[in-house]
Amino acid sequence: MKTSSNNEQNPNRMHRRSFLRTAAGGGMAVATLPTLIDSFSIQALAGGDPRLHQLLEDQDRVLVLIQMAGGNDGLNTVVPHSDPLYYERRPTIAIPKSKTLRINDTLGWHPAMTGFRSLYDEGKLAIVQGVTYPNPDRSHFRGTDIWLTATDADVMGSTGWVGRYLQTLAPSYPTELPAHPLAVQIGNATSLGLLGSAGPMGISFRDPDEFYRLVNGGGGAGEVPSSDQSDTPAGREVMFMRNIARSADVYASVVKDANDKSGTPSVTFPTTDIGAKLKVVSQLISGGLRSRIFLISWANNNFDTHASQTSTDDATLGTHANLLRELSDAVQAFMQEMKNRGQDQRVAGMTFSEFGRRVYENGSVGTDHGTAAPLFAFGAQVNGGKVYGANPDLVNLDPIGDMLMQYDYRDVYSSVLLQWFGVAASAAQQLLYRDFSSRAPGLFRSKPTSVDDTASREAFISVGPNPATDFVVVRVNVDQHADAHLVLTDLRGGPKATTPVDSWTGVGRLDLQGLPSGTYILSLHVGRAIAHTTIQIAR
Amino acid sequence: MADLRQRSAVLTLEDALHLLRRTTLHPTYARAAALVGKTPAAAVTALFDAPEAPFPSPSWASQTPNITNFNDAYRLWVELQVWWLDRVMASPSPRERLIMLWHNTFTSDYLNVYIAHWMVGQHQMLRANAYSYADIASKIVGDAAMLRYLNGDQSVKGRANENFAREWFELFSLGVGNYTERDVLEAARAFTGWRITGLTGSYNRQLADLGEKTILGQTGNWEWQDVIRITLEQPACNRFVARKLLRNYVEPDPSPESIDAVGALLKTANYNIRTVLTALLTSEYFFDAKLRGALIKSPLELVVGLSSMLGATSVSRVYTGQVMARLTQEPFYPPTVEGWKGHHAWITSSTFPQRQRFGESFVDGRQIGSSSKLTDDAGKAVVPDVIAFLKQLPDANDAEKIVTNVAAVLLPMPITKQQHEVLLEIMLAGAQKYEWDVNAPSAVQRARFLIQAIVRMPEFQLM
Repeated sequence: MKTSSNNEQNPNRMHRRSFLRTAAGGGMAVATLPTLIDSFSIQALAGGDPRLHQLLEDQDRVLVLIQMAGGNDGLNTVVPHSDPLYYERRPTIAIPKSKTLRINDTLGWHPAMTGFRSLYDEGKLAIVQGVTYPNPDRSHFRGTDIWLTATDADVMGSTGWVGRYLQTLAPSYPTELPAHPLAVQIGNATSLGLLGSAGPMGISFRDPDEFYRLVNGGGGAGEVPSSDQSDTPAGREVMFMRNIARSADVYASVVKDANDKSGTPSVTFPTTDIGAKLKVVSQLISGGLRSRIFLISWANNNFDTHASQTSTDDATLGTHANLLRELSDAVQAFMQEMKNRGQDQRVAGMTFSEFGRRVYENGSVGTDHGTAAPLFAFGAQVNGGKVYGANPDLVNLDPIGDMLMQYDYRDVYSSVLLQWFGVAASAAQQLLYRDFSSRAPGLFRSKPTSVDDTASREAFISVGPNPATDFVVVRVNVDQHADAHLVLTDLRGGPKATTPVDSWTGVGRLDLQGLPSGTYILSLHVGRAIAHTTIQIAR
Repeated sequence: MADLRQRSAVLTLEDALHLLRRTTLHPTYARAAALVGKTPAAAVTALFDAPEAPFPSPSWASQTPNITNFNDAYRLWVELQVWWLDRVMASPSPRERLIMLWHNTFTSDYLNVYIAHWMVGQHQMLRANAYSYADIASKIVGDAAMLRYLNGDQSVKGRANENFAREWFELFSLGVGNYTERDVLEAARAFTGWRITGLTGSYNRQLADLGEKTILGQTGNWEWQDVIRITLEQPACNRFVARKLLRNYVEPDPSPESIDAVGALLKTANYNIRTVLTALLTSEYFFDAKLRGALIKSPLELVVGLSSMLGATSVSRVYTGQVMARLTQEPFYPPTVEGWKGHHAWITSSTFPQRQRFGESFVDGRQIGSSSKLTDDAGKAVVPDVIAFLKQLPDANDAEKIVTNVAAVLLPMPITKQQHEVLLEIMLAGAQKYEWDVNAPSAVQRARFLIQAIVRMPEFQLM
């Protein structure tokens, strides 16, 4: 039991201000949660309450992250064809202006990127120029770790930015597993980006059917309980494996169900590695898998084009051209499929790469490790058809001769968290260890902030597990001694459960036993003020 | 702080198994039993001094490479894998596991190198010099596979390719934070002048940048040998190699003090690995009970280890390579120049169930998660003799004791009383303890149940 000496010395804190404090005290507000609600239900439920209407519509947003592993050459991707220095520095590998695909008067796409060009022209793809971070590291592995952990260049992070975000959605993971995986990585590896403080916050597999067979193909003999030696290195490793095994057990059938339900894609995906991976992602989304994050990557450092980046007789052909085509064609097919399946409004994607490459080509028809490079966001709700930031400055370079930063990569993550996922500013600041919101480019059409329902969004510090099964623990942001209670309502408006909020801890625990699967409205009542969010029950 | 004092207590069976798991790919009961009662110093000497059979290269590897299409390249890749897997299935030498450490440090991958002959050459270079980091470090510069993999053969004076120079400092010798961007640029100049001729690299001073350079604070008209010398003089290089050894042999997250202590040994020994490993592997630190089972087995250690423990090392090399690939360690194909990250990276929601399926299927003589039989490469069925495995152990006819003994051989830490109870129940499969008879026909399936239950445990993935 905590003491209240501070409160007694500070009468302001005893005062019941509206019903909320700001979250500056350190809470993580969780406003949007993974759910699936059709528009009819939203109409029926929200009635005349526009804030609630908006809240429900925004629940189900998905982000697809595509890692261009190896360090993508930004200058040959978004070509600054009006800059004579570009051609001077790259006598062999520069893309001729006449071959580029028009972006604007000064920039053109690499000719292999017809898919990106179409999406851009439709306003569904945005270019962010000059993305890196202060004191950029030119090591693949440090660079990748920095991007995945969202730390400063001199900080060794052990958790991923996505993992930390997902942990706010499911604080008791992996003890309590949500009904659907929070994140899915297509491939055999688990990205550092998905690591939370309690281990990986997602699952990885190459193929849903294969995954199901692997998990369920075991022999008949029983399971041996794990030894409880969590204080030894070996004991910790056993627990690490137990948790991963359990999430695989639970999710293999959920993933297979979604994959089975999705049916045949309406578009033909390219038969490339990335095409095949995005096809799996599209199937899972269409089939109803409620994961928030999908992550795919090239399996090797494919973009590490030190040599033979282009063919020697035609700079528009060769290794790099093939990689860009693979990306661009696959994303185009993916977005078309999402549109055909009516999913495109809630799905967005973003590319990233650990660094760009040097301005100068080297003597082996390639480029060495550099710094700033463009990044791409795509989706129907992306403020696309735009270039964020200025064209690359090839004159003012860093002491090594590399391009300077225009956007910190965490500015862009801030856009994702604030605009796309509707995370409260205070929470985004905690997730990224600093406030990047003021420089976040407006990449995503951000319904949550347009509603400006700050009160509701700041009210809930954490709600978990979500999706929930037997109970949900809700931590809210109310003044101590406030008389608060929680009400759970189903989509037809009938109250299903209620509980008081502990006035000391700000925590309420709702018993959900006996309630069927589905979406529910969770309301916090303090006096006459009400804040809403939604939760999912899944059995 | 690592207690590097030499341990004098003679080896128990558990100690001997621990030593074999951490140094060889064959931690079998028979080999461990032969070490029981020896001092650590005597046991480690016996391991290092055991004679090794010669390992000739495939006959095609000495011919001039003539690979013009992917089918030929792929066929030779499989032959390369089989050639090497044949060796590791047969050789109990600590050299084999050490070679993997170097292969995983000075990586080259088959698809980028493309020429199997050069991969054979690199492997043989690592093998011949496995006990000297300094020798490997200077020979890797002109290694044909490495020259191709990191573009050294395409680096041109005046417009040097930085690929090898950067990885030299970052991944091969010092680690991030111990060199500057300027060092990379200057070293890249010093590494020019190499080309590949036939099967090997050759250095042509006419093609090299012989101008003045400043590398790690030293200025001179440095050539590639100077970069190696200057780098290996750095205390950071001692620590870098020390950390590699500690993570490979002792614990995943060694303390800075342990790294410094082993780094000092490396400096004194001038990077002689046998000298340093002998000190490390005979120390109180190495045998610390708290560190048993602290490492996660690589797919190689898992697959070869189980094959060996169950006396089934004739299993198909092609199949073995395929299993390793599914478990994300395809032979001669590390994912990046950083090599396989190892430890936690081995275990995902996808690979962990595959490891379980591999193990339990193997015990039955089946291929991973299928009803297809295990065979050798000639197609002859391979069925692990689980009864022979049990009968080599003491008290095979005592149900309670055989569970304890099987677990002690297969797992790196003792099982709990509760685990023992469950394993006994699984083995007996409804029978009574007194009915257990290792010679009865019904014992075969029961022995399989027992071993399968053990290889499914997360503990089995540890070493």
